[in-house]
Amino acid sequence: MATLYYLILVPMVYIAFAVFLLGTAIKLVKLYKAPKHPSTLQIFPEQNPKWLWALYDTFLLPTVRKHNPLLWVFLMIFHICLVLLIIGHIELFRDFSIFQAVPHTIFLGKGLVGLFLSVSLLFFLFRRFVSPNRELSVPEDYYLLILLFLTVLFGSQMDWARAWYKYGEMGVEDYREYLMSLLYLKPDVPANVLFAGHSFMLVVHVFFANLFLMSFPFSKIMHSFLALPMNKLRRG
Amino acid sequence: MDEKTRNELLQLFQGKLNRAMRFYLETCSRCGVCTKACHVHESMPHVKYIAAYRAEIVRRIYKKYFRSQGKLWSSLGQSKELSEMALEELYEAAYSCTGCRRCMVYCPFGIDTQMIMSIAKLLLIGASTEPEILSMLADMSIEKGRSIDVLKEGFLTGIKNLEAEVVKKWKIEAGETAIPIDVKGAKLLYVALAGAHSIIPAAAVFNAAGENWTLSFFEAVNFGAFVGDPTRTRLILDRIVNEAKILEVKEVCICECGTAFRVMKQMAGKQPFEVSSVTEVHARYLREGRIKLDKSKFEGAVTYHDPCQIARNGGVMDEPRYILDRLTEDYREMAPDPRYNWCCGGGGGLVALGEETLDFRMKSAKVKADQIKSTRATILATACENCHTQLDNLNEHYNLGVEVKFLTSMVADALVRH
Repeated sequence: MATLYYLILVPMVYIAFAVFLLGTAIKLVKLYKAPKHPSTLQIFPEQNPKWLWALYDTFLLPTVRKHNPLLWVFLMIFHICLVLLIIGHIELFRDFSIFQAVPHTIFLGKGLVGLFLSVSLLFFLFRRFVSPNRELSVPEDYYLLILLFLTVLFGSQMDWARAWYKYGEMGVEDYREYLMSLLYLKPDVPANVLFAGHSFMLVVHVFFANLFLMSFPFSKIMHSFLALPMNKLRRG
Repeated sequence: MDEKTRNELLQLFQGKLNRAMRFYLETCSRCGVCTKACHVHESMPHVKYIAAYRAEIVRRIYKKYFRSQGKLWSSLGQSKELSEMALEELYEAAYSCTGCRRCMVYCPFGIDTQMIMSIAKLLLIGASTEPEILSMLADMSIEKGRSIDVLKEGFLTGIKNLEAEVVKKWKIEAGETAIPIDVKGAKLLYVALAGAHSIIPAAAVFNAAGENWTLSFFEAVNFGAFVGDPTRTRLILDRIVNEAKILEVKEVCICECGTAFRVMKQMAGKQPFEVSSVTEVHARYLREGRIKLDKSKFEGAVTYHDPCQIARNGGVMDEPRYILDRLTEDYREMAPDPRYNWCCGGGGGLVALGEETLDFRMKSAKVKADQIKSTRATILATACENCHTQLDNLNEHYNLGVEVKFLTSMVADALVRH
C-alpha cells in the first residue's frame, strides 16, 4: 500500500504537472499562433475602456447574473473559493506575507471553503440532470465535475479528519517538507504524511487532483486562460 | 462519404480555424445560459435550436479531427465523424440560425455562434449541399463585377427611367442630375440594392441635402456572406471597394441592407474612404440642418426594428432614433435595450431563400411578432431589406396590423423645404 501511496504522491504528481504545464503551454502557443480574425467581432453599443469592461465580463460574469441569477451565485461562490484554495495550497509550500495581509491560520478556511466548493459543484452537477442542460451536456462535463467534486471533497475533509487526532498529525510542516521536496526535485514523503490515519484521504485527494490536472489542457477548463481574450473580442 | 471528400472538407474546416474561431471552439462550457437567447428556440423550444447545441454540432467534428481529446478519448466530448449524416445536421443548424448574434449577449465568454456556423456553411459548399439559389445569386454578383462594360448600358437606361420619380419627391435645379452615376471625385458613393425602392428615396434625400454623390453600379447585397463563402464574399465586396477607389470618393454609403453594411464596414479593411449606413448619413444631414422633416407626415404610433447586422453587430443604434424623433411624436421602443432586440427571423440568407423557408421563418419568429404587437404601433420602420421582407411576411401571417416601412422612404416622404 505504501508503494501505491508513493506512486500517487510522487511520480504521478510529476507526470500530472508535466502534462498540465506542457499541455497548456503547447495549446496556448498553438491558439496564439493561429492568425487573428480579419475583422472585429464586437457587439455594440461599445463601452470604453474596452479592456476594463472585458475584465468586468470575465470576473463578474454580468451576463450570467442577468440571465440566470441562481447559477451566477454558485459560479461566483465556486470561483472565489477556488482562488482561496489555490492560495491555501501555495501557502502549503511556505509563508507569503502578501497572503497574510488578512491574518489566518494555514490551511486557509479550515475545510469550510472546500465545503462551499463541494456544494457548488453538486449544484453544477445536478442542474445538468435537468432539461435542456441534460441534452446540452457531454460526458466531459460530468467527468470534470465529478473529478473536481471528489478532489475537493477528500481535500477539504482532511481538516475534519485531523480533528480526530486533535490536529496532532499531518500538520503544515509535514506538507511543507513533502511539497518542497517535490519542488526541489528531491522527492521525500515524510512518514507523517505516508502513515497517518487519514493518509488515504490525502492520497485520494492527490490522485483525483492529478487526473484533473492531466485533463486540464484537453478540456473546456482552458476557459481559465481564454475567457479574458474572448471577452475582449466581444468588447472590441 | 469517401475519404477524399472528407479530407477536402477537413481542409476547408482547417482554413476557418483562426485564433478567434479556435477560442470559440475550445471554450464552451455548455452552461446553457444562451438557452433563452435564440428567437428560434423561444418560438419553438427544441434543444436543437439552442445556440450552444448548434455550435456543438460543429464542435464535435472539431474535437474529432483537430483536438487531442477527440483522438485520445473520443467519447468524452462525443466527438463525431464527418459524414453525410453530419452534413445534414450541419445544414439544419446553419440554416436555422439567422446569424443575429443575440446569443453573444448571453454567453459568459461571448462565443460567436454565427462565426461557428460559418464553418458549417463552408462545409456545405464544399460538399455541394448548400442552398443552390444563394450560390447562384453570389455567382451572378461576381459575374456582374466582371462584365461591367456589357451591362452598363442597360443599367444606365434603367436608372434614367427612375429619375422622374426622384424629382417627384424632391425638385432639383435645372441642369442637375437626379441620379448621378460614375461621377469621379464625388464625395459620396451610394450603394443601393437592385430595386427602385432602394434608389428613389435615397436619391431624393441626397439631392435635398445638396450632397455631391454618385450611385454605384453594383448592388450592395452580399450573397457570398449569406452562403458563407469567404472567397465570394471578398470578391463581391471588392467590386465596390474598387469602384470607390476609381471614383476617388470620400465615403461609401450602404443602403438599407444589414449584411452589406456590416461586410463593407468591418471587412473592407483600411481604405481611403469611410463606410457608413444610409441611416447614419440621414441622421448627419438632420444634425447639420441640411434636410428638414415634417413631423406631421405620418399618423399613428411608430416603432423601429433594429436590424441585427446594423445595430447589435454594426453599432448603428442612436441614429435611427434621432431620425424617428424628428418624424413622429409617438415613437415606441421595441426592446428596452437594443442589444436584446429579437431578430426578425429572416437573416442569414433565409429571406433570400423565399418560399422554401417561409413556414420556418413564420414559426421561428413568433417572439418577434409578439414583440411588435406589444408596442401597439401602426407603423413599423426598419432599415434593412431582409428585415423588411420578413416583417412584411410576419405582418400578414400574424395579422399585426402594421405598415412596414423603410426608414429612408419615411425620410424622403417627410422632406420639407427650409
